[in-house]
Amino acid sequence: MTSGLPRMGHALAGAIVLTALCGAAGLLPVLAAEAPRTGAPPGLDLSAPGVAWAGFVAPKEPNYAIARLFNDFANPATGLGPVTDGPDHPYANNEVAREMRIPPTYRVADLNNAAGKNLKPWVREALARQNELVLRGRNGETREARCWETGVPAFHLNPGLMHIIQMPREVVLFLTGRARHIWLDVPHSANPRPSWYGESVGHYEGDTLVVDTIGFNDRTFVDSYRTPHTDKLHVVERFRLIDGGNTLEVAFTVDDPGAFYQPWSGTRNRHRVVNPNARPVEFDCPAFNDDYFNIGLEPVPTAEKPDF
Amino acid sequence: MKVSCVCGIGVSFAVALTSAAAAAPDISGTYWATSYSPAIQVLGGGSPPLNAAGKAAYEKIQAGLKDGSIVDKARRVCVPDGVPRVLATPYPFEIFQVPTGQVTFLYEMNHQVRVVVMDKPLPPRQTLIVDAKYNGHSVGRWDGDTLVVESAGFNEWTFLDASGLPHGDEMTTVERIVKVGNQLEDVITIHDPEMYERDWQARFVYDERNDVRLEDYACNDTHRDLSGVKGVRR
Repeated sequence: MTSGLPRMGHALAGAIVLTALCGAAGLLPVLAAEAPRTGAPPGLDLSAPGVAWAGFVAPKEPNYAIARLFNDFANPATGLGPVTDGPDHPYANNEVAREMRIPPTYRVADLNNAAGKNLKPWVREALARQNELVLRGRNGETREARCWETGVPAFHLNPGLMHIIQMPREVVLFLTGRARHIWLDVPHSANPRPSWYGESVGHYEGDTLVVDTIGFNDRTFVDSYRTPHTDKLHVVERFRLIDGGNTLEVAFTVDDPGAFYQPWSGTRNRHRVVNPNARPVEFDCPAFNDDYFNIGLEPVPTAEKPDF
Repeated sequence: MKVSCVCGIGVSFAVALTSAAAAAPDISGTYWATSYSPAIQVLGGGSPPLNAAGKAAYEKIQAGLKDGSIVDKARRVCVPDGVPRVLATPYPFEIFQVPTGQVTFLYEMNHQVRVVVMDKPLPPRQTLIVDAKYNGHSVGRWDGDTLVVESAGFNEWTFLDASGLPHGDEMTTVERIVKVGNQLEDVITIHDPEMYERDWQARFVYDERNDVRLEDYACNDTHRDLSGVKGVRR
């Protein structure tokens, strides 16, 4: 019995020769058959081979406005936005530091702007304590840098490559060895077990993927300032392509009556990168991540007793 | 007249190719083992054929795990298990065949990802050494209904099973993965002359479980109930 491969090669050769005679039409059914079933609308194909979505692409010339968004949310067009830095302690991430040639800092949250005033007292106090720690030179690392699961919407903050797999019943987001599952066209469970990324259900509205997530645990932060939340957190994300398909915009709204007076919104843009050699990576974060400089880093997640 | 006749043949060729492409096996879905063994079970019975160096390494690892001088980081801080240990996982996992050019394995346990590259050869030896990974580098091809996966470029920080079975850093593996009915079978061949007298095999079988959703997993969290998986002791 001959294997499938030579047969296919022979047929392909035939198809190419005859396509040359007949025009492109002869090859169309072939392409259609090879395209995997993703269920994605034509305007929101996010999982083409070799395509990934970068949270940051360095501009050719130093650009503070772009560098500032290296690993932060952008404000929404209107309405309340995320917690940010303030004029007293402007934040310089590593990319700002590199481009502007200034020393990098840790984050100090502005508790007096609109986003700061939107925090319930216990959240405000938690951030005030964190600010104080950072100003004393202690731990200002993000939760993600300590290898914890990031939660939503903080999942989007990493500047690295996001790989997306779209299928008819599920969309999977891969980023830095972490994964999120979005279940399509199903309702929420009655009582989802609290989890790091919650229960995400989604559907396509035209060329937009709308994702609704509840069922979170209260062990993550919603941002890199370490803004806590409760298990009442409810996040709606809208994924769509802009800039002719070169930018994936994720616009989200965060609602948590246990932590915030009003819902607030933010956006995070990712840039289309074509690199056939870049694939989802393994999660090796905890391998070498001790507190080498003794600056009070929280430990990486550690199981004193093996899971099984 | 003649041209249209040729085009007719062209269409039939295209249809032949279409059916060949459509016939590419679909093993995507969610799978879950029904049993677990901390010590890898050698196909055909017996113990893994350790050579002298392998026996010495195994004794040293087992003593270290016992007195705490060696830490099983895959369980303590949840780094990836490595191959073949990940194949023994008592948690479910999912296989994706989107996008084309790769078959992606996503394990619930510590959200381990294995990408089997279908459209490129293994990287050159220098890359495998410099960029060694817990689960190695994997390339695959279809042999009929069977996905044949070759892996190399494993780092030196994994054990082959939970008992601490050793491997050398030039270990290579070949897996033959096939779906039969509602089960998936993975027969792996271990090639590691540094630690073993000869090549040996192990076989892992999983039930198709598309009724199961993969859950979030973080080290030291409360995880899925595994009481349905024989051999798991918590």
